Amino acid sequence: MEFLHFFGNVLAPDNFAILVFGTVAGLLFGAIPGLSPTMTVALLIPFTFHMHAIGGLILLGAAYTSTVAGGAVSAILLKIPGAPANIATALDGHEMAKKQQATTALHLCFISSAIGGVLGVFVLIFCSPLLATVALDFGPSQLFWVAILGVTVIATLDSSSTVKGLMSGVLGLWLSTIGYDDIQGVERFIFSEHLQSGIHIIPALIGLFAIPQILDMLGDGLADRKREIIQGTRQSIGHSLRLCLGRGKSLGIGSIVGIIIGLIPGAGGQIAGLVSWDQARKMSKHPEKFGTGEPDGLIAAESANNAMVGPSLVPLLTLSVPGSPTAAVLLGGLLIHGIFPGPNLFRDHAEVAWTFVDSLLVGQLLMVIFGIALSGVAAKVLKIPKLYLAPAITVLAVFGTYSVQHSYSDVIVMFALGLAMWLLERMGLRSAPLVLGLVLGGIAETNFVQGAIIAGANDGMARYFLSGGLNISLIALCAASILYSVWSQRRARAANKPTIRAAAIEFSPRTIARRLIQNKPIFILIGLAVGISWASFQGAGSAYIFPKLLAVLLLLTALPELLLTLFATDRAPRSIDKHKIRQLFPGLIGLGIYIFVAEAAGFYAAAAALMAALIFYYAHRLAALTRRKIIAHMLFIAGFLGILYALFSVVLQVQTPTGWLL
Amino acid sequence: MKHTFNPFSATVTWLIATVLCIAAAHAEYPERPLSLSVAYSPGGATDFQARIVTMVAANEEYLGQPIVILNKPGSGGRVGWNHFASKAKTDGYELAAYNVPHFIAQSIKFNTKYSINNMEPIANWGADPAVLVVAKNSPYNSVQELVNYAKKNPGKVTVSGAGLYVGHHIAFLQIQRETGVKLTYVPHKGGAPALTSVLGGQVIAGVNNLSDAYRSRDNLKILAIADNARNTEFLPDIPTFQEQGFAVDDSSVNFRGIMVRAGTPTEVIDKLAAAVPKMFNNKRVRKQMRQGGSPLRIMTRDEVRAMWNKRQAFLTDLLQGL
Repeated sequence: MEFLHFFGNVLAPDNFAILVFGTVAGLLFGAIPGLSPTMTVALLIPFTFHMHAIGGLILLGAAYTSTVAGGAVSAILLKIPGAPANIATALDGHEMAKKQQATTALHLCFISSAIGGVLGVFVLIFCSPLLATVALDFGPSQLFWVAILGVTVIATLDSSSTVKGLMSGVLGLWLSTIGYDDIQGVERFIFSEHLQSGIHIIPALIGLFAIPQILDMLGDGLADRKREIIQGTRQSIGHSLRLCLGRGKSLGIGSIVGIIIGLIPGAGGQIAGLVSWDQARKMSKHPEKFGTGEPDGLIAAESANNAMVGPSLVPLLTLSVPGSPTAAVLLGGLLIHGIFPGPNLFRDHAEVAWTFVDSLLVGQLLMVIFGIALSGVAAKVLKIPKLYLAPAITVLAVFGTYSVQHSYSDVIVMFALGLAMWLLERMGLRSAPLVLGLVLGGIAETNFVQGAIIAGANDGMARYFLSGGLNISLIALCAASILYSVWSQRRARAANKPTIRAAAIEFSPRTIARRLIQNKPIFILIGLAVGISWASFQGAGSAYIFPKLLAVLLLLTALPELLLTLFATDRAPRSIDKHKIRQLFPGLIGLGIYIFVAEAAGFYAAAAALMAALIFYYAHRLAALTRRKIIAHMLFIAGFLGILYALFSVVLQVQTPTGWLL
Repeated sequence: MKHTFNPFSATVTWLIATVLCIAAAHAEYPERPLSLSVAYSPGGATDFQARIVTMVAANEEYLGQPIVILNKPGSGGRVGWNHFASKAKTDGYELAAYNVPHFIAQSIKFNTKYSINNMEPIANWGADPAVLVVAKNSPYNSVQELVNYAKKNPGKVTVSGAGLYVGHHIAFLQIQRETGVKLTYVPHKGGAPALTSVLGGQVIAGVNNLSDAYRSRDNLKILAIADNARNTEFLPDIPTFQEQGFAVDDSSVNFRGIMVRAGTPTEVIDKLAAAVPKMFNNKRVRKQMRQGGSPLRIMTRDEVRAMWNKRQAFLTDLLQGL
């Protein structure tokens, strides 16, 4: 109970002020696409140079806690997850927002985050030494199976069809092999110089989620669909609190899964949300509602994300080895003040260590208070007309992506992935499983290769990967996950049987040709699968086994899709709406030029030009421009860029390319 | 009064203007903030140390201008260095941090845009030697005991380290060459997971940074330091490989310092080469580095140049046929 002794420190005025500042900054930064928890903590470290040790740590801890929750804000409101941890949040959270329950969704998110977070910190307080040894038991073979457990979730994630989900996931897994691999010392699939460092997960997340939405908005001519005015929906805090606490099962599943996954070094944070979302769905009485705006899904995902924070610090604080990228950055923050984490941390630096842990607890409380206070304002983002929203998100996506590693290549990759995703979405592929594949691919392959090296030096692959209690339990979990998916698919199919096979298959060369013409996107899909296979089979050596395997899987999943197209009975034509294309085209050209010149022209000048071009062009199409409207548009552009400048150039010190202009 | 063209006053005006322009152009370098490109992520050891050693740059006695850190990570440093070697200006305002032996080994092993020939060293701030570690409960207490086991069981001793063609890997190759036994290298994504695998007993031994091993010394046995001398500051009791009879020198030591692109004006380089080592020697810098467990080793431009040339020759030989 030593931790109770130091609560007074946290509440001391100067420390408390830092805690409040860190929490609010974390919430705001977390909500900006591109600023992941790791990034935010890293960016705040220079500020701690000039603070005393306790203050500096409180700032970093508060920022870590609240960015994880802040990332949910953009996931819910804009369907752009701030970090991989928030992908699952977007699945149900954004659907809730679309049903006019944005404020409730935000409330639920912060409440469940805080509950999960507090439980996670308690685990850190009471079970650290014990759990540290458990964390160390996860070697390459165990981590490989953890990644595979994640892969088993892919196929059923956010997709109507298992085949499509699998295809999206396999594509993501394959994309993760691009670039230099420092475990195998090879460079793979560097078709362009921009891919040299591979596909970074944060830019990919922004591109895959934000760009397709922007293109859809452009396709609508940036016109706002008729808004259904909701009446009588209560969005009070009390209502949210009751709703959240009434879902104890999801809270429990989320927190437990989050704590367990948070402990596992390396794999942790990124998949905690998704795995617990999937577990909550599997244990739910109405799994079909998940992904359609089900509060249980949101609660499970968000409680897991913050429950992971405490346990993820266990290896760092007890053994001095950071178990996650964010913990690695926190280590730097500790070292700068001469505090070496390790077994003696709580003995030699009891005051600093316990104050830090206590601030994590108080921080959760502050996060919920400020989060809820900001929810009402944040939800107003949904009221911004698309005319402003689309250009603003585009510019934000570019700035956010660039700030991750000061790389314009990342911006180009982000945009290219987004364009490709927009096309793939026409074919029923989804970004969530694709991103999950991208996250898991690296973990699975790295650990497999390391395991193979270790196994080669010892008793062989079978013995290394398939024996031991932890390995066997994980394999059993993987098997259970697959069996459950198969079983639930069967059940769903049995329930839907009467509606299928309504008409006899008409099958003649003419009808086949017609179906192919109606389903042009299928050619893109087949082309993609063939192209990827071609590229993969060019390479020789052990480093290409994994890509080749994935290429074959992709071909195998594309084939049934082709057959389905040929023999489908009464499928609605899936070609893209011509009117939308006509509306989209000028905007797309504008985006293309923007991405092409932004680095040379200077970020701010290019952003101003793009925003003006998009806003005036589409506004003119919607209605005649009046002088008042022109002034309003100009003011919006100037104001938005001003905020952007203050945030990126002044606060975060991101050195954006200045080029010829600014 | 009649305005007439006065050749005298015109000449004077022109002269004054010219002098002013020249004065402006020759204003004392540096007259605006400098940037330091770091090829690793924020929060990593290189980034962390770069931020400490540049934090007093704005003092008048050093550069009089702050140095802003610019992280460009990717591909073990190659993305940042390739970008620097091809895009950085040679006006003295764009600096980069180097990591030896990483950047030299990469320039030998891969088709990179950088090498020691198109970079100009300014000064070195730190040196983090590699150490050989085993878990606390390991049966091996010296390099010789581990070598004896490896002799009987060739290839069975697994050794973790951070990635390929980095300091740890170079040290591993040297250890293998000098002890004459076959070991198995298990590359990891960074030093932290490599050390974790030693603590967790996933591998038998590990090559890791002295600074990181020092922090985990309660859970580890540190068998030897891959350097020419012991580290008196942090681990005075740990012997070097040479003391234990293995000719492993300081070739794998992770040297960190500042460089600029070749083509930077000589007077700018001279100014930096004079001011930067003094900056590294600042009392606050020394204290912060010491607190962070980061060994400081300040070397001047000429010393770094000699060290680079020596590494280039050694690594070309070591990596041949690999």
